[in-house]
Amino acid sequence: MEELIQELKVKIIETLSLLDTSPEDIGTEAPLVGPETGLDSIDVLELVMMIEKDYGVKIDNKELGMKVFASVKALAGYIHEKRTETIH
Amino acid sequence: MSVRVFITGVGIISPLGRGRLATTAALQRGDRGINPLHLFPTSHTEPLPVGEISDLSAEEPLPRTHRLALLVAQEAMAGADEPPDAIVLGVATGGMPTTETLLKQNIFDPPRYRYHTAGSVAACIAREVGCKGPVLTVSTACSSGSVALAIALELLKCGKARSVLAGGADALCRLTYYGFHALQLVDAAGARPLDRKRNGMTVGEGAAMLLLTASETPPRGALGELLGAGLSCDAYHPAAPHPEGLGALQAMQKALAGAGIQPSEIGYIHLHGTGTVDNDLAEARALNTLFGPQMPPLSSTKGATGHALGAAGAMGAAIAACSIGAGLIPANSGCDDPDPELKLQPVMKPLRKKIQRVLVNAFGFGGNNASLVIGDPELYNKGFNLRETRPFLINGMACLTGAGDAEATMTRLFAGAPVKGMLNFEALATHLPQRAVRRLKRLPRLVLTLAAAACAGRDDIGPPQAVFFGTGWGPLSEAYDFLMKLFESGEQFTSPTDFIGSVHNAAAGQAALQFQATGPNITLSGGDYSFEQALMTASLLNHEPEKPFLLIAADEHHPVLTPLFEPAAARDGLPTDGGAAFLVSPATGQGMSLDSLFFAHAHKHPQVIPSMIGQLGGEARIKNRYAAIFVGIPAATEQSGRRQLREFLFVTGFKGPVVDYRRWTGEFASASAVAAFLAAQCIHRDEIPEQMRGQGMVSLHDRGILLLGLGEFVTAVEVMP
Repeated sequence: MEELIQELKVKIIETLSLLDTSPEDIGTEAPLVGPETGLDSIDVLELVMMIEKDYGVKIDNKELGMKVFASVKALAGYIHEKRTETIH
Repeated sequence: MSVRVFITGVGIISPLGRGRLATTAALQRGDRGINPLHLFPTSHTEPLPVGEISDLSAEEPLPRTHRLALLVAQEAMAGADEPPDAIVLGVATGGMPTTETLLKQNIFDPPRYRYHTAGSVAACIAREVGCKGPVLTVSTACSSGSVALAIALELLKCGKARSVLAGGADALCRLTYYGFHALQLVDAAGARPLDRKRNGMTVGEGAAMLLLTASETPPRGALGELLGAGLSCDAYHPAAPHPEGLGALQAMQKALAGAGIQPSEIGYIHLHGTGTVDNDLAEARALNTLFGPQMPPLSSTKGATGHALGAAGAMGAAIAACSIGAGLIPANSGCDDPDPELKLQPVMKPLRKKIQRVLVNAFGFGGNNASLVIGDPELYNKGFNLRETRPFLINGMACLTGAGDAEATMTRLFAGAPVKGMLNFEALATHLPQRAVRRLKRLPRLVLTLAAAACAGRDDIGPPQAVFFGTGWGPLSEAYDFLMKLFESGEQFTSPTDFIGSVHNAAAGQAALQFQATGPNITLSGGDYSFEQALMTASLLNHEPEKPFLLIAADEHHPVLTPLFEPAAARDGLPTDGGAAFLVSPATGQGMSLDSLFFAHAHKHPQVIPSMIGQLGGEARIKNRYAAIFVGIPAATEQSGRRQLREFLFVTGFKGPVVDYRRWTGEFASASAVAAFLAAQCIHRDEIPEQMRGQGMVSLHDRGILLLGLGEFVTAVEVMP
């Protein structure tokens, strides 16, 4: 799980061109979207594409989306859960 | 003198049918034209529902958009004896249906891309109907068609034309089909505008054009009257509407004020009503604020036609004319259970009712809002007072070329060297925090850099209130990256960011956000004449005195697309791009000024040069007024441009310096904006670089510089001390 969280932080920086940010700057449990991070709904949609492409996990309901993107931890948890479901 | 603007011809095509009468009949029956996509194969197991026109045969090389536009132009012109004096067309994606198909098939044959540009649709119509006047292309995403009609209205109010053919056209393509899907804005069940369960829009296609005629009294057979138009910009977000619908409210208020009527005089509101959660909510809030408890009957027809993007506003205007003519309020198709949160009661079934005035809404990406008021031609209306256009005072200016910024550009030119080339990407938008520009590619960065530099040091006159932006090719990087990611993933994945950035008006929307410019935000795209189109459009609008606005033109070079789209320019060697920006205001005081004097379609127009000379006041005035002529001849029309220049010089006997500026700026669509900047700099310094002007003349002796654009169009712009 910790590995997935670290990997996600790197991918978020890459996907959203956050060139001024390093993985350590992203709090694992801090809100991912909002005025503190400057990320918004377009960034969320961009991450939805990345997650579907790289992890095969679809996120297509808006409300579910916001919950999933509450923090990197929440995101990692959701991806982990969905991937486990598909494997079994 | 006063003038009224009548709708004397209507052309419309949509999934509901071909032609005004078929459309009216379909609306009377309450038809729905939404079905699963058939036009091209997709990666979706079940293609999404779209508003597709089914009986349109393929006729390469003409893209689908052009064919739709031609059909409605012919219908609108059917009863007219003469060609229109001008054409204004709103287009969002232009030749994209053909371009994306060629790119998908890895075909890299430039001639097959010759109809790519947004401006080529209107040029195609101009040739077909024989228009010899201005031909303008508006590209403000989903409000394009309405903005085009608003500009046409101003052309008539300023006496620049007596008849204008105006509207919008857009065809289905992968870019918008997958783009809106990536934004999760498509309702898999088909659009249900205003419904409690609405879950997005339906992408559609269509076209509509109105023939607008200036007259003191209603001409026989008039189908409606364009009473007013209102434009605004949210300056809030690149894609989402302002949550309270503030920009929408402003556009509606301006349209009513322009028409000189009260909200209570509106008999029907044709909503933008796309069916997305946010749009319908923002529009409803704006409507409730404006109309309160006296809400007129209202409906969205996008549940019947789908959302035809750049054509939508013009289709709304055409439907308004049908409604007035037939005494019909179309149904709000797709909605079964109106959302109580919206506090609106849409018309659920087609309704027979005499209507006198219709309010038509259209809103687009970049927070770009346009509202129109259309009335029964037989109603009394006092009309508009004819207005004169005036030059603009230049308060600030900037340019970007291969040499760098304004200073670097002038230094290199005075050293006798051209300023061709491309500025490093890293050198653009450095004045903004990295985080703020992280999503922006080359064109918006060029524009934001230019805008900031043009406004620098002019806090004394306040920030710009409006933005007029010309771009020949629009954001090529965003469009290309979007399509490549789509094709490389077998049409599985795309970038929502690139889709939002791919609309031509994205960069102007960014500039509005930067300066909180909530006034009109208009992007024009007419190939090599885009700067001239932006300047002309700005000059038509009735600006508040003392309120500055931005006039910008810029283009980006793209390593793959530019050689395909502009093979003649690409032969020039060094890839070149850039642009220029001016902070201007309506001229009231002393200072350098900029004015749009002439714009004509030169195709089959043997009198174009004499007619321009006449417009400029004749040979003697030209010789006295201008110290030099800067002439732009696009590489693609080298022969005709040279011929036009010889004729101009022969007839006027102009003996001063004639600068072929593209030899210095390089070949790119908005080179003329850089030339205008150079002209202003030369006037300011009272000197033209020697290598550019040749030997002889040194001082300009308080005279101005005339900028000529030649080739497919002939334009004249003056910069005066």
